[in-house]
Amino acid sequence: MAKILMKGNEAIAEAAIKAGATNYFCYPITPQNEVAEYMSKRMPEIDGVFLQGESELAVANMLFGASSTGKRVFTTSSSPGISLMQEAISYMAGAQLPVVIVNIMRGGPGLGGILPAQSDYFQATKGGGHGDYRVLVLAPSTIQEAVDLMMLSFHLADKYRNPVMMIGDGMIGQMMESVEIPEKYTEPELPPKTWAATGARGRDPIIIKSLYLDPNLLEDNCSILEEKYDRMKKEEVRFELYKIAPKNKLLIIAYGTMARICQTAIDELEKEGISAGLFRPISLFPFPEDAIYKEVTKKNISDVLVIEMSTAQMCEDVERAAVGKKPITFFGRTGGIVPSPEEVMEQARKLTDKRKPKPGKKKA
Amino acid sequence: MESSQPLTMETAVPRFKPPEIPRDIIIIVGGYGSGKSEVAVNLVRFLVEQRPESKQPISIVDLDIVNPYFRSREASEELERIGIRAIHPRGGERYADLPIILPDIKAGIVQNSGTMVLDVGGDDVGARVLSSLADSFSEVDYDLLFVLNANRPFTADVEGCLKMMGEIENACGLKFTGIISNTHLLEHTSEDTVLTGLKLAREVGRQTGLPVAFVSALAEVLDGIDGEKIKVPVLPLSRSLLKPWEKKSRHGNTK
Repeated sequence: MAKILMKGNEAIAEAAIKAGATNYFCYPITPQNEVAEYMSKRMPEIDGVFLQGESELAVANMLFGASSTGKRVFTTSSSPGISLMQEAISYMAGAQLPVVIVNIMRGGPGLGGILPAQSDYFQATKGGGHGDYRVLVLAPSTIQEAVDLMMLSFHLADKYRNPVMMIGDGMIGQMMESVEIPEKYTEPELPPKTWAATGARGRDPIIIKSLYLDPNLLEDNCSILEEKYDRMKKEEVRFELYKIAPKNKLLIIAYGTMARICQTAIDELEKEGISAGLFRPISLFPFPEDAIYKEVTKKNISDVLVIEMSTAQMCEDVERAAVGKKPITFFGRTGGIVPSPEEVMEQARKLTDKRKPKPGKKKA
Repeated sequence: MESSQPLTMETAVPRFKPPEIPRDIIIIVGGYGSGKSEVAVNLVRFLVEQRPESKQPISIVDLDIVNPYFRSREASEELERIGIRAIHPRGGERYADLPIILPDIKAGIVQNSGTMVLDVGGDDVGARVLSSLADSFSEVDYDLLFVLNANRPFTADVEGCLKMMGEIENACGLKFTGIISNTHLLEHTSEDTVLTGLKLAREVGRQTGLPVAFVSALAEVLDGIDGEKIKVPVLPLSRSLLKPWEKKSRHGNTK
């Protein structure tokens, strides 16, 4: 398997094909257009379906229909487009349909701009649609990881019969990196899709729906979903640690490409004698709260610094996980402006300076 | 990765021939991600070094209307500091991927005012913008150079390159005059990567009758290559279009 150079959007598209996706529906929006462009070339080659809908609403409902047949289906969009899909995502979660949705995030709110952002964290992890449902959310920080998580997303969608969302800031879609994409995605065996509507000849019809007028039946469905989300919390927590060491006073928490900027900052801070470690959540739902609690409450840690390309969205989950055990400081930029390593270092220096004993002060 | 000092022509000359750029209009096209913008930025820097006494301006035109990020306009402040004229939309439109074609471009071409390097968007989709300037090009001599990166999925073999070159020519209504061999794998580029890419570029050149105008590669990779193995001119590259985590001591993005 040789390394090739790919743009994130193309790599995501090819990974989906390798994972067995045969149906792709889309509506164009920057900065994820190359996925659609790539799929329009590749789908005819594998006898798959490429369909540009008349809107994101249409696309999301096409996903519902196609997923009902048991085929692997997906779409890609960017922030405002994902907003338009929320109703159908709630319907798919309610109907227990596996689907993969990729959000290459741009700055909002509203039409916002087209530069990179991480401001759809709430939308992805707290449910942009209505009802008691969850979407499993994964966040890659490199193109190789986007490939790996894209393939895994299809597996997890089928495993849980639930929408899985992969979110990346605009850079994940637009940047080029060298990647290796396997010829075929190998995954643990899954049970046959006996729930799929594949034609009722010789058997009773299968009805796929999210409507339950009898409150007892609706509560039963909600309980099934709740059990699945609890199982995800046990089995699907993913995160990565970088330079975690007993000498660290500072713990930085960031996800996606923001974590890579923090890694550069941590490497540079080390040269200045400031040792910090990084906690990078990979699964945003389920959020790695136990692991964060464990890192935050370590005796050597005096400060937690959360960095995002948003105004403190994931930070709320960090606060929830840390339950007030250590002070949490947030730094973020918005509008498509990406915090630089230097800006992260400045924040780290401020926290370190604050903890230094003040010279010349006499004890009373 | 800290961007290294560019290998200057004085150090490069003994082993490699510098590119020969006789024409004033140089149009850089190629597949998505072939490295057009980085090549264009380095080419204008090279032209400034080559023509220090030139009274005529050297311009870089960012004609990429299909990519939203990592375009040559991101280096415009750095280039303006060394006297290069950077032509691209200003204000909010600088950050858009809208089909904006500034009047300065047409004026620059037809009035023959100095040297212009046009950095065009990827594939035939990106090259289509040139068709709106076709009238202007009919009056002048230009170079239309195809940037080839053999590590990109659609230009990995001769067949793929010929297909893409045909599509680009059809979209822009212009004819290629040469190939730039720019095969790389970013930080994973080795001497072998460059030489394997050059082999493909030569073969594409043989089948199309086009010369390999030059090989472009990171200066630090070129350091390890025997000059005898590259018989065409060489443009050493120093990366300007870096990802945020590759920039260590530079501040912010904008503001």
